[in-house]
This record gives sequence, C-alpha cells and structure tokens, in this order.
Amino acid sequence: MDSNDNTPPVDAAYEKAQAQEWRHALDATSDHRAAGIASDPTEIAVVAEPVLAGVGAAAVAVTADLDAPPPPRQHIADPRDLAIAIRGLRVSYGSSEILHGVDLDAPRGGVLALVGPSGCGKTTLLRSLNRLTELAPTAKIDGKVLLDSDDIYGPKVDLNLLRRRVGMVFQQPNPFPMSIFDNVAFAIREQAHRRPTRTSLMPQVEHALERAGLWHEVKDDLNRSALSMSGGQQQRLCIARTLAADPEVLLMDEPCSALDPRSTARIEELIVQLAGSLTVVIVTHNLAQARRIADYAAFLLNGDLIEQGPAEQIFETPREQSTRDFVAGIFG
Amino acid sequence: MPVRLSDRIGYYGAWASGLFLTSVVFGIVAWLLVNGLRNIDWAFLTTNPAPGSIEIGVAGGIVAPLIGTLIITAMGTAIALPLGLMTAVFLGEHGKPKWLKQGTDTAIDLIFGVPSIVFALFGLAIFSSPSMVFLSSEVQTSGMATAKSYFCAALMMALIALPPIVRSTQAAISQVPNVQREAAYALGKTRFATIRKVVFPSIKPGIATGTILGMGRIAGDTAIVWILLGGAVLEPPQPGWYEPQNFLDFLHGTGSTLTTYVYFASPAGEGNAEGKAYGAALVLFALVFIVNIALGRLGQRKIGRQ
Ligand SMILES: Nc1ncnc2c1ncn2[C@@H]1O[C@H](COP(=O)(O)OP(=O)(O)O)[C@@H](O)[C@H]1O
Ligand SMILES: [Mg+2]
Repeated sequence: MDSNDNTPPVDAAYEKAQAQEWRHALDATSDHRAAGIASDPTEIAVVAEPVLAGVGAAAVAVTADLDAPPPPRQHIADPRDLAIAIRGLRVSYGSSEILHGVDLDAPRGGVLALVGPSGCGKTTLLRSLNRLTELAPTAKIDGKVLLDSDDIYGPKVDLNLLRRRVGMVFQQPNPFPMSIFDNVAFAIREQAHRRPTRTSLMPQVEHALERAGLWHEVKDDLNRSALSMSGGQQQRLCIARTLAADPEVLLMDEPCSALDPRSTARIEELIVQLAGSLTVVIVTHNLAQARRIADYAAFLLNGDLIEQGPAEQIFETPREQSTRDFVAGIFG
Repeated sequence: MPVRLSDRIGYYGAWASGLFLTSVVFGIVAWLLVNGLRNIDWAFLTTNPAPGSIEIGVAGGIVAPLIGTLIITAMGTAIALPLGLMTAVFLGEHGKPKWLKQGTDTAIDLIFGVPSIVFALFGLAIFSSPSMVFLSSEVQTSGMATAKSYFCAALMMALIALPPIVRSTQAAISQVPNVQREAAYALGKTRFATIRKVVFPSIKPGIATGTILGMGRIAGDTAIVWILLGGAVLEPPQPGWYEPQNFLDFLHGTGSTLTTYVYFASPAGEGNAEGKAYGAALVLFALVFIVNIALGRLGQRKIGRQ
C-alpha cells in the first residue's frame, strides 16, 4: 500500500459504510427531537452514539498500515466514552445563523482541539457548552449538548452547577481585582451566610494552584493583588480558579493568544498534564499548538463541522479538501 | 508655544480660565476663613441659638443647627444610598424592560434639574394629609399633619441626593470589564452573586464619590429644610432629646440646620448677626470638606489586600 496516498481505497470504502451508519444515527436523533420525546434513558443511548467511533476505527486502520506508528500518548481516551456529545447544535444571533447543526464528540479525558478560520463560530460553539452563549440577548440555541448523556439544555438543568462541572478559561486572562487567594477561593466559597474561614479553604486553594503549576511561585504571597501578576501567571491563575470548582470538562478559548512563547509552552504542558483527569476542549488558531497537545481535532468552517477525528488523522490525512487546504495553511 | 493666532487665543484663554477659577474659589475660602474664624469660639460651638438673638452679640451658638445638619444628612443618605445603588444596578446591569430604563433615566435627570423647593412644596402637599400624620405630628385644630419633621425632610432630601449617587455608581459599573462578569458566570455564580462579589468591589470609589456629592446636596439645601423641617432656628430641642425614649419624638418634631441658621442670622434674615452667619457657614464648609476627604479615602482603599 502506498503510504503517501492520503485516501487508501480500502479505508475509503470502510468510511463510506461508517458515514452511512453515522447519518442513520443522526436521522434517529432528529426523529426523536421531532417527536418531542424528553430525556428517556434509552433514547439518550441512541442519541449519544459516538459520532467519532467509526472514524476512530478507520484511523486506527490507517495508522496500522504505516511503517512507523507514532508513539502512544500518555493518556488514551476511549472514543466511545464521551464526556460531551453535541447533536444538531444550531446557534443564531438575531437573524443570522452562526452554527448550522453541529455534531461533535469530546471523548472523556482527551484533549479536543477545535480549529478553523477566524469568525467560523469556534467561540460560539465553545460557549454553548457551558451555556454562556445565551447571555447574548439575541442568541437563539437549538439542538442538544449531552454532558454524561444528560442534555444541558434540558428543562431541569441547574445552570450554576453545570457551569461548575464545565469550567472555562477565556482568551484574555481575566482575574478578578482581588488577591490571588480570593481569586481561587471565589469558586469554592458558597453563597451561604456562613463564610468558610481562610484556613478551611486553604487546602483546596493550594491543590488548585498546585494543579495549575502556580503554587510554588505564589505560595509566599497569596495576598498579593492578582492584577500585579504577569500575563502568563494571570492565565494560570484563571486556570487554577476554574480547577478549584473541580470541573469534569475544561473549555479553553485560545488561552495562549495573549501570551509570550514561554508562557504558552507552560500552559500547553499544563493542558497535557490535566488531560486524563478531565476533558479539555480547546479552541486554537495555532495549528502547531493543536498538533502538539490535541488527541482529537475538529475542523469548523463557516458554522459547519467539516471533519473530526483523532488529531493525527485530521492533521496528516484529512479527508475533506477544505480541511487539507486549512491544515496546509492555504487559508485561515 | 502655539504659533497660530487662534491657537494662541485658545491656549491663553484656557490658561486664564484655570487661573480665574482657582482664584475665585480660593478667594471665597479665604474670605470665609477670615470672617468665620473671627466668630468661632468654644461657646459658639457648644451653645444653642439664644431666644434673644435679635440683639447683636447674644445670638448664642450653633449646637442645635449643627446636630440638625448631621442628622438630616445621615437620614437622607441612609435612605438614598440603598435606593440609589439598586437603581444604578438596574440601569447599569439589567436595563430591561427598555421603557422602564428610559423612564428611570429621565426621572433621574428631572430630579437633578428641578430646584429643591419644588420637591419641598410637593412634600408639603403630600405629608400634610391626615394619612401621613405618622411622619410628623397632628395639627389639633384641623386634623391635618404638620408635615414638618426630620422624617418628612429626610424623605425629600433622599430624593435630591439620588441623582449623584445613581449616576456616579452607574458610571463605575460601566467601567467594570464584561470579561470579569463572564468569568464569574462561568464559575457558576448567579447574577446577584456576580454583582455583589465582582462588580461591587470595583465600584466602591464611584459609590463613595456619589455619596459625597449626595451628602453635599443634602447638607447644603435650604428650601427643603425651611418648608419640611421648619424655620425653628430659635427653638432649641428639648433637653434630653437624644435619650432613647425621646429620640423618636425628636425626629417627629421640627428642627433647624446650619443652612437655615446662616440664612436666619444673615442680614437677609431676622437674626441680624452677620458674624454668626460667617461662623456657621465656615463650619458647614469644613464639615462637607471633611466628609469629602474621609469618604474619598474609604473608596480608594487598596484592592487585593484582605
Ligand atoms: N454576541 C454576538 N452577537 C452577534 N453576533 C455575534 C456575537 N458573537 C459572535 N457573533 C458573530 O458570530 C460569528 C462567529 O463568531 P465567533 O464564534 O466568535 O467565531 P470564532 O471564535 O471562530 O472567531 C462572527 O461572525 C461574529 O461576528
Ligand atoms: Mg473566537
């Protein structure tokens, strides 16, 4: 078999079959939605059928044929065990539709990189996973986002609990104008009248700062204003602040775009370390970064999900012409 | 140095305006200091206005008006501050429905623009109705309320203190970056918790500024005091008014403030004691100045330390 050929005929046939099965699953999804059936466990099983599973299998077949398979990653997420399954997600602001029915899987414990040209809807997609999108007054959201097979847009969702389970790190470091300690303790402090003491919060604050790789830099000066830290430190503080709520999923929207290369490297290291203990969905415009840290990748173009799969497959042997052009740097 | 003539005129004009304003203000302060200090002594600060004050030199001191100013300012601010903060949060954070936001905006501007004597008259009409007797006291002959009390005056004072508190807080709210609010939402905080924990700490200086301005308006107002608190400059409060069992009665009764004292003692009023007017004016000035500095400090307290 010619390993230079991007689409080996055997796999093409296999994929076609998979794609058919896939479409089948999607039809089932929309049928159920049309019927207006609420969260019934058997239905969820159908809905949550991994979109990626077939693709993953295909990719395994590809790599098995290659002479030198890449070294295994530290954490291998099972593509069938989904932390998040997005089904038919449509988002519009006012009259303009930004996302046109996206299906996307985030396997548990993996790093999923969301790539695509500027303005294609990556941020909108990410913010729909912790329901921040709906803060925009004109936003209209349709479809399902299953977190552990429960629809986060379902009727009985506790928004505040959801946002603690699905944490988010923003493009610009945005620490609160408070001390380092208070920033991290922010998520832990309950809104109850009885305020937990500083001593009782300390273990959790230390743990979160430890996980964000910041503890040793700040442990002697926790009362310092967070705004006096460097940009890279601020971003790691924002990660620590999010980790303090002990989320299952960590959303990151171009978290390094405002940082210098050194700080970027530290955060990339951190993401790889964190994966496994939680699921990371990261938007990045930096393809090199996506290659370095991602287990899975998805390519979004003008509000359509063009292609998703294991990162290697998306970056080395993309199936769609537009993906190929994008990863080759022809546009973006 | 600007070369073109129009530039030059503009440059010197701006420079001269600054100089003019500075000298006018410092001139007034100096004049007040000179004339006021001459008339302030320990007795002036520790005695009540005397009934025989028509005769020069025996007009007494300013204890009662000073206390009146402090109490009316405290009461008016206590009512206006929570109301103003909530209004500012509504305008700055929610702003919906739109018609209510626009209505509130217009109302605030109106209150700012309308002279306080209009509100005083309105207050008189409302508070003198028999159903409002609980705010002041009953006029035995007619069954109407007197509409003159600390409560009546404080309510209208709160109204005139509202615009600076609302606007200053609202301006501070609009300075809080949206990304900080989103960070709080993304941590599962409710809207209320976000305002309390993230927005509020950042807007403290704005609130302090608004409160200073509001307090200044109350302490400096004469019309509302004259109409709704009474022109009772020569009636000192009953002895022991400050004792717990008497205090509520005191607040239901008439009183005076430094502004009405200044008016009364000045050649324009009946007191005919110009020196006393200068003394009281200086005390009023010093009071507002001290509050200004104290609250300014409080609002600027360093962020980030616990
Ligand atoms: N709050 C909003 N209101 C209206 N349009 C928006 C809003 N947020 C984003 N958009 C529009 O949605 C499109 C996608 O934006 P975004 O999701 O930020 O893309 P990306 O992150 O891929 O650059 C853009 O055309 C943008 O102008
Ligand atoms: Mg974006």
